[in-house]
Amino acid sequence: MAEDIEDGPAMDARRFAALAEAYGGDLRRWPQAERDAAAAFASSETGQAISRRAHTLDALLDSYRVRHPGKALHDTILRTADRYIVRRRRQRFWWLGLGLAGIGLAGAIAGLALVTVVTPEVQPDHYVLDANATAFGDAGPDMIEEDL
Amino acid sequence: MSADPDEELVRRVGAGDPAAVQTLVARKLPRILSLAVRMLGDAAEAEDVAQETFVRIWRHASSWRRGNARFDSWIHRVTLNLCYDRLRRRRELVTDDLPDMADPAPLPDAREEPHRVEQALQAIAPRQREAIILVYYQEMSNIEAAATLKISVDALESLLSRGRRALQMILARDGVHD
Repeated sequence: MAEDIEDGPAMDARRFAALAEAYGGDLRRWPQAERDAAAAFASSETGQAISRRAHTLDALLDSYRVRHPGKALHDTILRTADRYIVRRRRQRFWWLGLGLAGIGLAGAIAGLALVTVVTPEVQPDHYVLDANATAFGDAGPDMIEEDL
Repeated sequence: MSADPDEELVRRVGAGDPAAVQTLVARKLPRILSLAVRMLGDAAEAEDVAQETFVRIWRHASSWRRGNARFDSWIHRVTLNLCYDRLRRRRELVTDDLPDMADPAPLPDAREEPHRVEQALQAIAPRQREAIILVYYQEMSNIEAAATLKISVDALESLLSRGRRALQMILARDGVHD
């Protein structure tokens, strides 16, 4: 029903007629700030005449009623809701799965990087170079047991 | 701004709560359907509009945030926009397929009072019809109706006055109203 936070103008026949013309004869539809003044004016002869005219059209508007929604429409709408909600849940799970996979992948990469940084590099035995090593092998003095 | 009575329900619908979905349909379907029926004057088209409105609700419920309008005002705006799309399409069809002669046969139930009121509502300007439906039938306050129509309260009162005057003229011409 009507409500208005602003103070309305003082009620007179002109204002009362303007409001009745807009909102009809039922004061519950009128701007809230003007209802008390309007109710007081409505008891006057002029007020009664204006209200009567407005109520005539209100009664005609009241006669036009709309049927309540049928069960078929109600059920169809609920079915569409199911479809949307199920789809949204699936999307949510899909994104959750993708997020978890992403977190797992990021963890694996971080772990690999950590292992690479922390673990010291191990040189293979056959690739140990020292001052005596040449392309033909170790050119240092042969040290065999017989020489010792 | 006062609290929105639908806000918590919409949040639950957005979270996929089946009980909230049922409550929302029970609460809003009669309002949406009656708005569409009175805007379009066609029950079948109004049912299509109601379904489309709910599809938009399901799509937006999880991300719906209250801005300047309440949820009820938002769904009224969505429904009205969908009704306007259909009214525009109708106008295009009428322009394209104008019959050579008007059908002289009287409309069914043409003498019936509610039917005359329905026809009179369809005959007035759509913006005036919107204003009357929101304030009179949907029982919105003047401030809510003005916010839904994105106009001032003064402009709303002007639409209402002109709409009611036009209805009175049409109904008086048809012998329904003095």
